[in-house]
Amino acid sequence: MSTDVTEKQTLDVKGLNCPQPLVKAKKALQGVPVGSLLEVHATDPGARDDFASFCRSTGHELVEQKEEGGAFIFLIRRKK
Amino acid sequence: MEEVSVRTLVAGLAFLAGIVFGATAQKTHFCTMGAISDMVVMEDFRRFRSWLLAIAVAMVLSQAMWSAGLINLDASIYRTANLGWAGAILGGLMFGFGMTLAGGCGNKTLVRIGGGNLKSIVVFMIVGVTAYMTLRGLIALARIELESATNVDLGVPQGLDALLGGITGIPAGGLRPVLTAIVAGAILWWCFKDAAFRESRKDVAAGIIIGLMVPVGWYITGVAGNDDFEPTPLFSFTFIAPIGESLQYLMTFTGSSINFGIASVGGIITGAFLMALATGTFRVEAFTGTRDMLGNMAGAVLMGAGGVLALGCTIGQGLTGLSTLAVGSALAFLSILAGGFYGIKYQEEGTFGGALRASLSRG
Repeated sequence: MSTDVTEKQTLDVKGLNCPQPLVKAKKALQGVPVGSLLEVHATDPGARDDFASFCRSTGHELVEQKEEGGAFIFLIRRKK
Repeated sequence: MEEVSVRTLVAGLAFLAGIVFGATAQKTHFCTMGAISDMVVMEDFRRFRSWLLAIAVAMVLSQAMWSAGLINLDASIYRTANLGWAGAILGGLMFGFGMTLAGGCGNKTLVRIGGGNLKSIVVFMIVGVTAYMTLRGLIALARIELESATNVDLGVPQGLDALLGGITGIPAGGLRPVLTAIVAGAILWWCFKDAAFRESRKDVAAGIIIGLMVPVGWYITGVAGNDDFEPTPLFSFTFIAPIGESLQYLMTFTGSSINFGIASVGGIITGAFLMALATGTFRVEAFTGTRDMLGNMAGAVLMGAGGVLALGCTIGQGLTGLSTLAVGSALAFLSILAGGFYGIKYQEEGTFGGALRASLSRG
């Protein structure tokens, strides 16, 4: 697998309350190689703000965030 | 007729103040559980500083009202001579842990209902029933046993001022402004020395507005509700017992009368609902599965029983109680923080033992 094709892992935290989506994403990121992506699916309305501040304060990159089929989807790149 | 109108006045004002409180919390994401989780999960202290700013604002204004003779905080439930230290610690730990399972404290549950969260309606009902069971029902027997075995009669109100006054001989009334200045000054310094907090206007605004609501509550019950024949008990914002009373009020409406707590619960939900509509954030949410439902239900039981044992929640003890300088409130506040901290570690580690090790190793 070439290096520019980034690996992507998916984490489903739909239905979990704040702060569990964040806690689980933080843990899942530890299992993602640096530079690769983690896609998080959440339904908690607080998640939008939470993931934005999480990426700001931890230095990971929030590549994309969208709403699809009633869920929030966050694409996070592990930076360190 | 007179007493009816005072009661109605208090309820109406409490409802309006609740609207401001709920709308502010919905707009700014003020959340005491979120404050703890932000610190533990991402070392972000802004929301915790917002909570502490609210404490400082509430303390300074409540004490100023007392010094000015508008209210007498010794009449509040927080400053009785009877220190329920065991209830504060055990109830606080239960409440703190419970709120991490249920997605927020009592206030946040109301705000989430206003924002369209159907799960929070279930949490609301279970908190209310469990709170009532702990106040007057089956669990009340255990609570009364615990209290009679452990409560300590201090002989003076359990305010830091009264206790220090007893040791030093300085009148408590003279010590209060000094202690308030020291405690609130230290909090304000710690809040505003942080540039990230200073620049976060919504966190600063939330701290100031929500802190203001506590003296507003004292004013509503202690000044506007001050009736010669039927004085309103001195009360301000707290949510666990009032959620229980709200359920009872809804079920026995024709035989019940409204009070500050019940009206404020309605106000918070209404305020959060209006703000959610205004900002386009209203969103219907429901349980997605068994695990989700179990977590919320267990959290609600712990909050309902713990909130009554500790005589208050993150707002009731961790804001309103602290504004009176009561040591029992400080004990409950620290226990809630510890329970919340452990709850988040539990979610990170997945086991009770692992969470305990992680909590202790972090120091």
